[in-house]
Amino acid sequence: MLKIRGLKKKFKNFQVLDGLDMDIEEGALYGFVGPNGAGKTTAIRVITGLLRPDGGTVEIGGRDAFAYREQVKQEFGYVPDEFGMYDNLKVREYMEFFASCYGLDGLVARNRCMELLEQMKLLDKEDDYVDSLSRGIKQRLCLARAMIHDPRFLVLDEPTSGMDPRVRMEFTEILREMCAEGKTILISSHILSELSRMCTDIGIIDAGKIVLSGSMSEILRKVNDSNPLRIRLCGEREAAVDVLKEDRRVQTITIRDGDIVVNFHGDQTAEAELLARLIACGARINGFFREQGDLESVFMQLTNHEFQKVVFHSEE
Amino acid sequence: MRSNPVYRRERAVRARSLRIPLIVFVFNGLLAAVALLGMYSAVEHVKASSFIQYSNFLQLYVFVVTLEFLMLIFIMPALTSGSISGERERRTLELLFTTRMPPSKIVTGKLCSAFGQLFLLIVSSFPVVVLTFVYGSMSVQDIGLLFLCYVTAALLTGGIGILFSCLMRRSTLANVCTYGVLLLLMAGTYMLNVFLYGISRTKADSMLPVAGQLRPAADSGAAVYLLLLNPGTTFIEILGSQAVGSVDGMLISSFLGNRPLNVVTGNWILVSLGVQLLLAVCLIWGAILLLKRRE
Ligand SMILES: Nc1ncnc2c1ncn2[C@@H]1O[C@H](COP(=O)(O)OP(=O)(O)O)[C@@H](O)[C@H]1O
Ligand SMILES: [Mg+2]
Repeated sequence: MLKIRGLKKKFKNFQVLDGLDMDIEEGALYGFVGPNGAGKTTAIRVITGLLRPDGGTVEIGGRDAFAYREQVKQEFGYVPDEFGMYDNLKVREYMEFFASCYGLDGLVARNRCMELLEQMKLLDKEDDYVDSLSRGIKQRLCLARAMIHDPRFLVLDEPTSGMDPRVRMEFTEILREMCAEGKTILISSHILSELSRMCTDIGIIDAGKIVLSGSMSEILRKVNDSNPLRIRLCGEREAAVDVLKEDRRVQTITIRDGDIVVNFHGDQTAEAELLARLIACGARINGFFREQGDLESVFMQLTNHEFQKVVFHSEE
Repeated sequence: MRSNPVYRRERAVRARSLRIPLIVFVFNGLLAAVALLGMYSAVEHVKASSFIQYSNFLQLYVFVVTLEFLMLIFIMPALTSGSISGERERRTLELLFTTRMPPSKIVTGKLCSAFGQLFLLIVSSFPVVVLTFVYGSMSVQDIGLLFLCYVTAALLTGGIGILFSCLMRRSTLANVCTYGVLLLLMAGTYMLNVFLYGISRTKADSMLPVAGQLRPAADSGAAVYLLLLNPGTTFIEILGSQAVGSVDGMLISSFLGNRPLNVVTGNWILVSLGVQLLLAVCLIWGAILLLKRRE
């Protein structure tokens, strides 16, 4: 549905997008995650054609987004990071206004609006003024508005920020339903855990580049391999640390709560071999296991550059 | 225009706000009070002196149409300068850009909405204007020309407003710029002419009279053509052509000295209306192009 290659954008002398690549399959619920200022909004504004990139290509539905601007506009719906509401306008009028912006008028527009308001459970709000609605309802209205021309692809920029957990859950549920109906959805957030539960695919952006991307299951496997090993010892640990320091597959060694925590790259046989060598050198080990890490810690590692530089650090 | 979504939305919203009825009420109230009082004093004057001074009624007419003109000049920028920048501040302009509505429709919708409000004001003040015709009347041509002048001035000031509204991010800045340019266009060009005329007159006065030769009359030089851009001058010329008398000192003929009339100065009203219409079209077109570029 979406194919981005080598997207670049510079504001003054700050490279916001630095060769961004992204692929979203038809029917995916794609989570676009990155810390604040990573360039998510900028990328989304380029995708929606609101911002011209300095370089790179964007294809939506197989068509170049800049060359076929008018046709591509029909393909996507956009929910920006701020609502964009009018004063003194009722929900129904708001919807019908945007319907007419896509050339829908009269009964067709009216029926379409009603259909969407019903789907978003907003029918009882039909005659309320849009600027008086609560955040959660505004967000649903924005989503309804973005779907007015029945696009196949939805782009949502941090739609759940500033919402309470319950409203967030409801919103997630709506997105899941829409995805099940065959829509492709791109949703951005700076909170990974929020997306990891609902998305089928994830792309992590940092400093204008995708640092990790793939389907959710693929990424979880990668995450497991990169979880740290925790080694618990009785007594002396110098000998064990010496062994670990010599091992090439060990990247960082940290002492945490009296345990040795090691970033170790290797599969299960490699783990067994490491354990054998530790025991051979006389370390008295009573615990040796992969930590149950999660996406969150990977996210932190990938996006926090300080973290990766730590080689030996004792918290004692 | 009914098919323009922006126009339709603005109309729906406007019908809810109390602003327009309030402006209509206050403005027409003032206008009616002044007109009725003026009328009353003129009639009393006739009764007391048994001498009918028609110039009093003409003055009343001048007063009323001038007030309408000034209102138009000042209200149109207020209605247009916040239109596009307001959408940008509300973050709805981007939403419109992602829809299939072309920028030209956004601009024309906004402009028509402003025109609609102005039209309401002018039409609602008709009864008062007509009041000044009780003791006299106008030809259809006179009314038509005045109307054309109003429309041109509204287009021009609206064009300035909407261009700045596209250019500036903040509505307040667009507002200030619009009124600044308007001031330059109206008072600026006029004062420049007054200034140049003053210099020229000092020069002429200091010249020794030569026997058998006419002393050269003062004029403001080529700067007089700048007044072609000034809707106020056109308005005053129209009043002058209606022989109302009270605007004689402000006519462009006073800046021309004894230079002979040419095509432009001879057909000042029509030429200036044409120039201003052209400028207005350029401004509106510029606004549309700006929006297209931003899109
Ligand atoms: N119009 C702009 N002019 C200058 N800098 C900008 C502009 N828009 C965004 N930026 C900068 O680009 C960076 C990325 O912004 P953004 O894409 O909004 O990040 P995110 O949405 O991931 O939080 C930020 O550091 C921001 O300051
Ligand atoms: Mg953002």
